[in-house]
Amino acid sequence: MITNLVIFAFIVGLLSGAVIIAAIFWAKDLGLFMNWWKWLLFAFWYIVLLFLIFAAFTFIGEGEPVAGWRASGIAVFVMMVLGLGLIRLLRKAPKNSG
Amino acid sequence: MKKKIIKEESSCSRREFIKIGGAVAAGLQVGAVAGAGLAAGKDPSTHTGWQHLGDNTQFVDRTKLVRKGPAYKIVGETLRPEMQESAFGRQGLIMRDIRQYREMIRSFDAGEERQQGMGNKQPAPQGETAPEVTGGVGPTREEIKFPPVEAFNEPMLSYYKSRPDLYELDKVRMEEIMPKKRQDRENYGDYYTLINAWSGSWRTSERITEPPEESDFKIGHNRRIGDPKPFKSPAHAARLIKKVAHHFGAAMVGITTIEPDWCYNYDLRGSDNRGTYEVPKHWKYVIAFGVPHQWEQVNSNPNSGTSFDAYSRSTIAARRLETFIKSLGYPARRHSPMDGYDLIAVPYLVKAGLGEQGRHGIVITPETGSNFRAAFVTTNLEMEIDQPIDFGVKEFCEHCQICAEICPSGSISTAKNNEGMNTRGYSHWEINQTSCYNFWMQSMGGMGCRLCLIACPYSRKSNWVHSLARKLDTNDPTGLVDNGLTMMQKKLFDAPEAHEYLPPPDGRFANFRQPPEWLQVKNYLDIEVTDPTIGD
Repeated sequence: MITNLVIFAFIVGLLSGAVIIAAIFWAKDLGLFMNWWKWLLFAFWYIVLLFLIFAAFTFIGEGEPVAGWRASGIAVFVMMVLGLGLIRLLRKAPKNSG
Repeated sequence: MKKKIIKEESSCSRREFIKIGGAVAAGLQVGAVAGAGLAAGKDPSTHTGWQHLGDNTQFVDRTKLVRKGPAYKIVGETLRPEMQESAFGRQGLIMRDIRQYREMIRSFDAGEERQQGMGNKQPAPQGETAPEVTGGVGPTREEIKFPPVEAFNEPMLSYYKSRPDLYELDKVRMEEIMPKKRQDRENYGDYYTLINAWSGSWRTSERITEPPEESDFKIGHNRRIGDPKPFKSPAHAARLIKKVAHHFGAAMVGITTIEPDWCYNYDLRGSDNRGTYEVPKHWKYVIAFGVPHQWEQVNSNPNSGTSFDAYSRSTIAARRLETFIKSLGYPARRHSPMDGYDLIAVPYLVKAGLGEQGRHGIVITPETGSNFRAAFVTTNLEMEIDQPIDFGVKEFCEHCQICAEICPSGSISTAKNNEGMNTRGYSHWEINQTSCYNFWMQSMGGMGCRLCLIACPYSRKSNWVHSLARKLDTNDPTGLVDNGLTMMQKKLFDAPEAHEYLPPPDGRFANFRQPPEWLQVKNYLDIEVTDPTIGD
């Protein structure tokens, strides 16, 4: 059990590293004006997304597929709306950027 | 210039690679989290109340280890085993013959002429007389003087003639090892007090046939309890009793004092008196504990579930605990589903701090929700007592009402709260027991219902989602979490309507969830069945 957890954490850690590096390039190429609190907001949004997916699939795993899919649907919808709002916010240039 | 362009193209493609790689990694991460969620949901170690048990019946996949051929190679004439071949079986035969031999010697000593030999040809039942097997007090040296080979009856006579080596070994055991062990027990027995009590507890099975003044002071039907072994303190006693109760199968244990109001006013078990009785003076403390239902089948209530799994387990735990306490010299009496109760379960569970009484009239605990069955042991062993607990059930039940809405017999109150409810002078949630019982008689499978027990949000699986929800709810004084969880429970988790659990034509013998595959006839038996749960 512990071994599985360690392997899982290792793989997710590697993937997280790749996501973080790619996110920096994506932000530049998409013309986003990022600063520390915007990165923090994005990280928060991403972690909440993962957390909700984790929860929804836990429901499916425990034998409650209806609850799991409903929770997934709600989570995806809410996170998309929040994601669109977040993109708009990230596109805004800081006031002192000229 | 050309070199620069190539460098830019290379840089661009590396950049694109990192970007696409990152996007793929994000997708994989979502997949990994979803997979982890599935695993967390399925994890048998989150079966409420059974977190320590796995799901598998085998640890190793034996299909890969199968070898060809029979289990053993046959090298001679095959024979069925005889009783004297086994050391345990032989012990019964030996004790029978020794008794007869001793009787014969005594008869001669008394001047009586008894030369007809040792007549009884029926071997004693296996294990009945073997001190090592029964664990009783062994015979004295004089009693177990080992007879010569010729003094034994058949089949031992022939057996010892053919196996003199075993005769010698048996003789050594009976004449030297066992008397020595008896002496060792006298010298060092106290050192093993707890392990002896523990070991003896697993053998308990006698029914209660005598009043408390008798049965509570005996181990089995014959052996009086010894002098009470003093504990270092009531706290030590409580700690030990809780620990062994857990090992005997209890998921949670609490201790409280006896309350005469909560002892039945009729039919004291083991007593001829069918009417009222005075609560025995040695019932000072009540050890209350609970055992959860098997997780996979409990969700298939009311028509494909049972009460008897947890009934049986809690009863066995109670029998063991009773014997353990008696083995330490204190009177004790079990109160359990299979052996009967002389007291009411719910208030003692509340008073002992195991949980709170819910809208459905039964107790909700932080560990198992409503999914458990209770048993008790009354004793005069002085123990540190527990206090009632509050983890927000009262407020939650006022908001929730899921059990009342799903109850097929409408036996659970839908009142806003339990104010004004009065049961023999005590205020708590009341249900209509008679209409509830009438539905038990209608239901299929293992009879009974248990729907309120499993529909209760506190009874959900103990995986991280529900455990987190319960923790948040317990620590939220505003009631917002209560409302949020109840709403989520009703909107996300489907369940048949109350009437669907009824027999046709009003219902369809529905279950809260499908029974596990190992309880579905179609998966294992080759018989024609009509499935009433499909409905019209």
